[in-house]
Amino acid sequence: MPMTAVEKVLASCSGRSELRAGDVVEPQPDFVMIHDGVVLSAKRELDQLGIDRLAQPERVMIVTDHEVIYPNARSAERGAANRRAAKQWGVGRFYDVGQGGHGHIFPMESGLLLPGMFYFDNDRHSTNAGAIGAFGFRMGSEISRVLATGTNWVMVPKTIRLALTGRARPGVFGRDIGFVIAKHFREGGSWGVNPDYRVLEFAGDLDQFDLAQRTALCSSPTEVRAYGTFFPPSAAIVERAKAVAQRPFTPVYPDDNASYEARLSLDISSIEPQVALPGGVHRAVDVSEVAGTPVDHAFIGSCGSGHYEDLQLAARALAGKRIAPGVRLMIAPGSETSSRRMLDDGLMKVFVEAGAVMLPAGCGVCNDGVIGPVDGGEVSISTFAGNNNGRIGPKDAQLFLGNPATVAASAVAGCIVDPRTVMDFVQ
Amino acid sequence: MNAIGKTELVKRHDWRLRGRAWVLGHDIQHQGGVVPAWIVTGRHMDPAEIIPHLFEETDPGFHTRCRPGDIVVAGRSFGMGPKMNGYIAMKALGLGLVCESMPFLGYRGAIGAGLRVLTDCQGATEECETGDELEVDFDSGMFINHTRGTRREYPPLADSLKEIVALGGNIGWLQQWWAGQQGARGGSGS
Repeated sequence: MPMTAVEKVLASCSGRSELRAGDVVEPQPDFVMIHDGVVLSAKRELDQLGIDRLAQPERVMIVTDHEVIYPNARSAERGAANRRAAKQWGVGRFYDVGQGGHGHIFPMESGLLLPGMFYFDNDRHSTNAGAIGAFGFRMGSEISRVLATGTNWVMVPKTIRLALTGRARPGVFGRDIGFVIAKHFREGGSWGVNPDYRVLEFAGDLDQFDLAQRTALCSSPTEVRAYGTFFPPSAAIVERAKAVAQRPFTPVYPDDNASYEARLSLDISSIEPQVALPGGVHRAVDVSEVAGTPVDHAFIGSCGSGHYEDLQLAARALAGKRIAPGVRLMIAPGSETSSRRMLDDGLMKVFVEAGAVMLPAGCGVCNDGVIGPVDGGEVSISTFAGNNNGRIGPKDAQLFLGNPATVAASAVAGCIVDPRTVMDFVQ
Repeated sequence: MNAIGKTELVKRHDWRLRGRAWVLGHDIQHQGGVVPAWIVTGRHMDPAEIIPHLFEETDPGFHTRCRPGDIVVAGRSFGMGPKMNGYIAMKALGLGLVCESMPFLGYRGAIGAGLRVLTDCQGATEECETGDELEVDFDSGMFINHTRGTRREYPPLADSLKEIVALGGNIGWLQQWWAGQQGARGGSGS
C-alpha cells in the first residue's frame, strides 16, 4: 500500500509494515525532548505517582531555551529544579544554560535530528523537524507518559500535499511564503481544507530552499494548527545531514500514489515580500501596504527564523548601518554554535556596531516577552513564530511579522520598509 | 497490565449514560467557552476549583443544574485547544460528551481526562434539545432519544482508547501501569 511520509515513518518505528491515517499506534521514538519550562511539572506529576525512573533516560534530551537568562527568582528556582531532575533521572542529554540553544533549531544543525527520524516533544513547534525530513510530535503535558513508559498513543494524522511551483523572487523568503500559506489555509481561506491535526507535506520545486528556508516554511502552518510538516530531503539536505550526523540515518520519501486528503498547489513566483499584520500569521499582506509604519521594537530569531542563514541575511541588511534612534533591536541565534560562528566570521561585530542587543541562543523575546517585552501602544516587527495580540505585552501593542531582512531593514529605517528598496538580492 | 486485565477493565467500565441533554452550539472553544481563560492559563486541574466555572461564559450556572449521567451535546468544532481542564470538571460531574466534531487535540484532552466522549456525530444537535431524556452507549456509539423515541448509531470510542477512559484518564492509566511494573519487578525477585 503506498504511504505518505508520516505513514511510512510511523510504520517504521511502530513495527508495522503499513499504516494509514486514523490508525492508532505507539511508536518508539528516536529521542524525547522536553524544554526548561515544563520539566518541573512533569517531574512533579511523576513523583506524585511514585514513578522515579524513566523508561529510556539515555534517549531523553532536556533543552534550556525558553528562559535562558533567568528573568526572575522563580525562573532561577526552576533552573535549579531542572538540574536536579536531569541528574535524578539520569537523562542522556541535558543542555543547560548556554549549551545547545533553541531545541527546534540546534538538533538539526548538530546532527542529532536527522532525516527519517521520529521523536516526541512537549512543544508544538516540534513541527520544525519536517524541514530536515523528520517528524517531531507534540505531546503537551502527556510528555510525562512518554518519559515514564517510552512512548504514547498517536493517531496517524491525515496528510495534505502542497506543491510549491515556480521560483521565489529575489528578496522573497520562506517566512513570506509561509504567511501566504497560512492565509490560504485559514478558515474562509481559499483552499477550503482545515489543516488542524494534519501533516503538511511539501512537494514541487523545492531544491531552491535550504534548511533555513525549509524551517521558515514549517513555521506558519504550525500556527494554523498543522500537527506536522514534511519536506522530502533534497540531495543537499542529505549531504549536510551526513556531514554532521551523530548516528546513521535513512531518509524517507513519500510513495508516488500515496493517499492524500487534499493535493494543493501554490505558484510562488508572484509572491512579494510579506508582512503579517497584528493578530496572526495568516494576516499576510504585501509589505508595500504597510511600508512607512513607525516601529519601536524589533526581534530576529525564534524557531521560525533562527538558523545561521537567517542571521546572515539580517547581517546583510545591517552591515555598516545603525538602527534608527528610538528603535530597540534584539537578536537571538538558534544555537550556541551559531553564536560562536558569528564571532569568527564578523556577524557579531556587524550586529553590535549596528546597535542591536545580542541575546543568548534560544527562544529570545518570542517566549511570551518574558524578556524584551513591549509597552502598550508600541509597534514591533519581528520574526516571531506567531503574533497573537498580547503575545509579548499589552494587547494594544501592534506586533507585525516579516522575514529577517525585512525586520533588520525596518529597524534601520525606523519604520516598516520593503527590504528590496534598501539592499540588493540576487536570484 | 496484561491483555486479559485490559479487556476486563474495559468490559467492566460503565459505558452507558442515561440523563438529560444539554445542547450547545457550534465553535465553543475550550478556553473562554468550556472554561474561562484564567483556569487554563493558571493551570488549574483540581475539579473542585474548575466545576463552579464550567461553561460559565456559555451557560452560566450550568454546574448547579446538571446531574450525573447528563450528556452535553455540542455542535461542530467543540473544545478548540489542546488543554483538558474543562473535561476534568465534566468527568468529575459524571457527565458525558457527544459532539458533531472536535479538533483532535481537544478530543485527546477529553480522553486524557477520562471523559466518556463521542465525536464525529453528524447532526447530533438536531437529534435532541435541552432537557430531552437521552441514553448513550459510548462503547457501541448507540444514541437514543427517549423523549422523541429516536435512535442513531454514531462512531464509538476507538477500542485502543477505551482503556485510558476506563482507568479514569492519563493519571489513572499511569498509576495502573506503574503498579504493573512494580508487580512485575516484585514477581521476578529483583
